[in-house]
Amino acid sequence: MSSLIGFLSLVFAIGINLYLLISKYLFKIKNKRFKLFVRLSSLLTLLSFFSLMCAYVVSDFSNYNVFQNSHSNKPMIYKISGTWGNHEGSMLLWLSILSIYSFFFSFIKNIEDNFQRLTLNIQAFLHILFGLFIVLTSNPFLVNSLFVEEGLGLNPILQDPGLAVHPPILYAGYVGYSIVFSIAIAGLFHNKDDEWLYIAKRWSLISWTFLTGGIALGSYWAYYELGWGGWWFWDPVENISLMPWIAGLALVHSLMMVRGEQALKRWIIFLSILCFSLSVFGTFLVRSGILTSVHSFAADASRGLFILLIFFIVTGFGFLVFLLKEPKKSNPLNLLFINKVSALVINNILMVIATLTILLGTIYPIIIEVLNNKRISVGGPYFNSTVIPIMIPGFLLMSIAPVLSWQTNKIKDSKKYALGFIILSVAVLIQSYFLDFNTWGFVGLLLGFWIITASTIAILSSYKIKFSIKFFQIINPHIAHIGVGLAIIGITCSSVFKNELDFNLNEGDEFNVIGKKVLFEKIETTNEINFQALRGKFLFDIEKNRLNQIEAGKNYYPVSKMITSEAGILHQWNRDIYFILGDQKDNEWFVKVLINPFVSFIWLGVLIMVVSGLIGVTRR
Amino acid sequence: MNRIIILTPLIILLIICIFSLAYLVSGKDPHKPPSALLNKDVPSFESSSLYDSKEIINTIDIKNKKTLINFFASWCSPCKIEHPLFFEIRKKHPELYLLGFNHKDPSSDAKKYLEDDGNPYDFVGVDADGLIALEFGVFGLPETYLINEDGKIIFKFMGPITKDVLKNEIEPLL
Repeated sequence: MSSLIGFLSLVFAIGINLYLLISKYLFKIKNKRFKLFVRLSSLLTLLSFFSLMCAYVVSDFSNYNVFQNSHSNKPMIYKISGTWGNHEGSMLLWLSILSIYSFFFSFIKNIEDNFQRLTLNIQAFLHILFGLFIVLTSNPFLVNSLFVEEGLGLNPILQDPGLAVHPPILYAGYVGYSIVFSIAIAGLFHNKDDEWLYIAKRWSLISWTFLTGGIALGSYWAYYELGWGGWWFWDPVENISLMPWIAGLALVHSLMMVRGEQALKRWIIFLSILCFSLSVFGTFLVRSGILTSVHSFAADASRGLFILLIFFIVTGFGFLVFLLKEPKKSNPLNLLFINKVSALVINNILMVIATLTILLGTIYPIIIEVLNNKRISVGGPYFNSTVIPIMIPGFLLMSIAPVLSWQTNKIKDSKKYALGFIILSVAVLIQSYFLDFNTWGFVGLLLGFWIITASTIAILSSYKIKFSIKFFQIINPHIAHIGVGLAIIGITCSSVFKNELDFNLNEGDEFNVIGKKVLFEKIETTNEINFQALRGKFLFDIEKNRLNQIEAGKNYYPVSKMITSEAGILHQWNRDIYFILGDQKDNEWFVKVLINPFVSFIWLGVLIMVVSGLIGVTRR
Repeated sequence: MNRIIILTPLIILLIICIFSLAYLVSGKDPHKPPSALLNKDVPSFESSSLYDSKEIINTIDIKNKKTLINFFASWCSPCKIEHPLFFEIRKKHPELYLLGFNHKDPSSDAKKYLEDDGNPYDFVGVDADGLIALEFGVFGLPETYLINEDGKIIFKFMGPITKDVLKNEIEPLL
């Protein structure tokens, strides 16, 4: 029953959007009614989504999608997250989030009616495209032709609280760019004033903040669930999320800085189209099954073709409008050798180059396979040696950009910064000399500390410190940059200075990790609701009284006959000690211990960026 | 000049779409990667029977006969899906030698699996440590290889074979 309701409301919502799209030319409906229809279509789409969720919650296996991806033994949270733990459901989530954005956008006041309507019309157009995609190729409401009492289960690797919330947040970021795209295109058509720039600013910041949170959650999940001890693998799916993130970063900054300059406006429109195009392209790459990873649920050529068509229409339409329509002529760009605008332009160019570099690395294997019929993979070494050097000058510039002037080449308090930079360089050099000098380590640490120092100097010397919300809103850009600095320190330390130790151990053995005694207490097996758990128990630092117990092991999921690895992590503020339990051979267990310094700084840095993104949204 | 710069994104879009389209319609499928082994000699292997460890099969034993090699395991659910098709192949092509490699499986589980679902293979070789799969470049289970009389690999398929694959891709080669 719920499946029927879900399907019907999905189809109705598409119908309403079709009506909205042609209403301008055929029916001439009033603005108020137009908005009501937008909201109705959003609510119907959400009803459709919650109907599917309902089918998952009650384990209605007469729905083929539920049968394929759920099991009655599953804990409730994973029944709910199972709704988007598969291709069809996740596309419905995609569409629902698109509707939510349109819903909220229809409530915005103080903007020109025609502009708002045009934006919502473009959203309706997108809704129709993706809605048809779901109905025609990825219908989550198909009826199961067999009578069954049990489902096939959800991929155990996806049964994790972090991963239950990762897709909705990530999608909120991806799909958020749809509204930015619509605003920019509407802005081009409706070429009267620059009001749309200020509206786009808020929405692009919301999308970027969600995208940051979503990527970080996925990365955090990979860190403790995949059991490889790393948090970023340059996996194609990660690259796909990184591209709109970097382009979005350039977009957010351009929107912050724009003061009606003609060149910047063009650039902003270009970036808005680019961000959404990259989001759709990412969806295409993952959903067509061209890329295989934990994210590609099923390969189906018809789906791939359909999304490729959507990608072509959306991007082609966007760039064609961009080519034909020009924003209204206004202020020229005030470029000096080193002022706010030039720093922004340089940073923007670097970010777009970085995005294109990632794009090239991601699609290169496809091009090679088409031309040569050889399968190659482009991985970490390519991206590390191209993307990171491209980004470094940008980061360096970022540290002083907020204090640059609009009109002159002068930097306020430039002596303080120069002094700070010299002291810092010497300090980091001395520190890295004692800690096995490593070029990347030196550059990364200097960069991270420099960004934090420069931002702190800027806060201290430019503003009077007060503890009020307004003050935090004013210094928000600096706070965001401090977050970036912290993340860079974390990234550098955890990748350059990490350490790996291997042991073969019997139960009861003691061994040394970074000068601390560790006891391999015992192996325990327990039966949980939907899996069997094997756990090795370790006591860390047994000589001191502060005993830390670490559990590392594996889970066996009988329904899908899969084994997942569960790393045991001891979090300390300055390092993570990461235990992985391997196989047993001749009564000895293979245990791998990784020491990852300052990983917590990455999560702290990202958290600061997300919070400051949220503060930015509230600022007028 | 300005126009050309503005046209660039459209050109890049076209290139990306053309290559993606070519990839999709060429029937290329991540389940069926171009194998470096295709049209090459079958890698040398030696394996004992699941039922009698003294009974050995090696590369020389499959010389001069068409052989279908299938990697399977009791823990692999897609293998279960394709399993009945091997009975069909056996019935229709009795001359084809069916060699199954049981991949990283406790022998008791493997035996039980073949007891429950039936054993279509002429020989079930044990690949307990996965070394033979490694030689063949197996990505994931199930995988199926067709070897001709000269000992060359003429077909490879990743994932469960289907009736379509059997009819359109394997049978024309038999």
